[in-house]
Amino acid sequence: MTKPLSKRIFGYVVLIAFLVVILLPFYWMFVSSFEPNTDISSYPPAYFPKHWTFQHYAEAFGQFHFGRYILNSVIVSVVSTFIVLAFSSMAGFAIARLPMRGKRPMLIFLLIISVFPPLVVITPLYMLLRDVGWLDSYQALIIPYTAFNLPFAIWILRNYFLQVPGALFEAAKIDGSSVFTAFWRIFLPLTTPGLFTAAVFTFVACWTEFFMSLVFNPSNTMRTIPVGIALFSGQYTVPYGTIFAGSVVSIVPIVLLVIIFRRWIVSGLTQGAVKG
Amino acid sequence: MAMEAASTGKKERRSGSLQRTDVRAGWGLLTPAGIVILAVTIFPILYSLFMSFNNIQLTTNGFQFTFTGLQNYKDVYSAPLFWHSVGFTIYYSVITVAVELFLGLLIALAIQNVERLKSLSIVVMLIPWALITVISAQMWGYIYNGVYGVLNAILQGLHIIHTQVNWLGQPFTAVVSLMIADIWKTTPFVVIILLSGLQMIPKDYYEAALIDGANAWQSFWNVTFPQLRGSIALAGLFRILQAFGIFDLPFVLTQGGPGTTTTSLAMLGEETLFTNLHFGLGAAVAISTVILILGACLIFLSAFRGMVGEEAQ
Repeated sequence: MTKPLSKRIFGYVVLIAFLVVILLPFYWMFVSSFEPNTDISSYPPAYFPKHWTFQHYAEAFGQFHFGRYILNSVIVSVVSTFIVLAFSSMAGFAIARLPMRGKRPMLIFLLIISVFPPLVVITPLYMLLRDVGWLDSYQALIIPYTAFNLPFAIWILRNYFLQVPGALFEAAKIDGSSVFTAFWRIFLPLTTPGLFTAAVFTFVACWTEFFMSLVFNPSNTMRTIPVGIALFSGQYTVPYGTIFAGSVVSIVPIVLLVIIFRRWIVSGLTQGAVKG
Repeated sequence: MAMEAASTGKKERRSGSLQRTDVRAGWGLLTPAGIVILAVTIFPILYSLFMSFNNIQLTTNGFQFTFTGLQNYKDVYSAPLFWHSVGFTIYYSVITVAVELFLGLLIALAIQNVERLKSLSIVVMLIPWALITVISAQMWGYIYNGVYGVLNAILQGLHIIHTQVNWLGQPFTAVVSLMIADIWKTTPFVVIILLSGLQMIPKDYYEAALIDGANAWQSFWNVTFPQLRGSIALAGLFRILQAFGIFDLPFVLTQGGPGTTTTSLAMLGEETLFTNLHFGLGAAVAISTVILILGACLIFLSAFRGMVGEEAQ
C-alpha cells in the first residue's frame, strides 16, 4: 500500500526537522569546543567559527586530567557490564528454562526493585563503603552499578532464553550433558543478540550514571566523566571550551556504540512492550 | 505467558530425581545475581527505612543512632521546602512526560511511513538517549546563557525579544528551560518506542477500517491508539520513573535555583544527606520519594487502563 505523495513529503519534512532539532545543540557544542575563549563568550555569537583552536582539548587533557576521567569511566563501565552479563545470563536462564517455584513473584520482584530511585540506597551504601574504606575506589561504583542493572538484564535475557526451543534443553540432557554445559554450550551462543542488548543497556547506564559517582567517588583522580564534566568550573567563569572539548571526546564512543548496536538497542527498548 | 505455564507444567510431570538436579542447578545459577541484588538494593532499602526512624550523628567513632520514631517524618513534613520540592517534582514530571508522549506520538505518526533515512534517523535519535545528562545540561546552559547565549541571539534576530533574557535567572523561565532541555533529550526515545509499536500493528486492520469507511481520525482512534497503548504505557512508565527521580539536569543547569525553584526531591535528599549530613531526615525524604514514585506509577497505569481499556475490548 503506497501512501499518497503529500503524506510522504509531510513525513520527510517532519523527520528532517526533528533530526535537525536533535543535532543543532550538538553542532553548537562541537564548534564551540574549537573556538578561542574570546569567541565563546562574544555576543552576538558567530554561527560559524571564525578562529579554530585545539587549545581546549589540550586544557581538558593537561590541566583537568580528563584522560583520567575517561579511564575511570571505561574501567567502571566495562567491568560492570561483564559482571552483569555473567550473572544475568545465569539467572535469566534459570528463570526461563529450569523448573523452579516462585518464578513469577521473582520477576515481579525484579520489576519492583527497578522502580526504586538511587536516592533510597545511596546513604546506606555510602555509610557501608565509608566503613570498609572503599570510597574513591572502582569497586565503590562497580558493585552498585552491577546491582542496579541486573534486573533489566535478567528480564531481557529471560525473554531471549524463552525463545530458544525447550526441546534443545531436553535433547542436551538426554545426551548426558549437565545443566551448566547445556547453558554454556547451547543456550548462551544462541542468545548472543540478547547478550548484546543487555550489554549495551548496562554500558550506557554505567557510562551516564551521575548521582552515585558524585557521592561515592568525589576525589579528582577517581571521578568518572559525568562528575568530571559537572565539576569542571573555573574560578569566576564556566570554562565552556574545556567542558565541550571533554564532552565531544566522550560522545565519540557513544556514537560508535549506537551505530554498531542500534538494532539491539531498539529491540531492547521494545522488549517490554511485546512481552510485558 | 500461557505457553510458558504449560511447558513448566509438562516439566513438573517428569521423573523426580532429574527434576531435583534441575532445581538445584537453577538456584545455583540464581545465587550470584540474587546475592548482589539483596546486598546492594534490598538491604540498603530496608536500612534506609530503619534510618528514617533514627536520629543519626556522625561522630569520631562513626555513626551514632538514636531511635526517635516518627520525628524525622514530622520534621520533614513540617518543612515548607519539602512540600515545595514535592510540588516541583510532580508538576515538572507530569508536564514533561505528557509533552514527551504527545510530541513523541505526533512525530512517530508523521514519520512512520518514511522509507529512506531509516537507519540514519534511528542513530540520531538514539544519541540523546545515550548522552550523559550532565553533558546535555552543560550544552543547554551555554545555549541559555544570559550574556552570550545563542538562544538570545536567535530570538533577537527574529525580533521575538528585544533585550537579552537571563533564562535561568527567573523562576518561570528557569522551569521552562529545564523542561525543554529534558524534552529535547527524551522525546527521541519515546519516538523510537512508539515507532516500533506502530510497526507491529497488522496492516489488515487499517485496510479493514478503510473498507468500513473510517476516516483518518476514526482509524487512528479505533485502530492505532488501542493497538499502541502497550507501547505508550511502556514509554510513559520508563519516563515517569526517570522524571520523578530527576537530579542531574537541575544539579548542573540551575543548581536548584533561582532560590529553590527547581529543587527536586532527589536534590533535596542529596543536600540533606551529604551537604547538611542529616542522615535521618535524608532517609525520611528518600522513603517519601519512593512512596511518591510508586504512587505515580500506579496512578499512571490505572488511568491509562481506564482511558483506553473499554475501547480496546
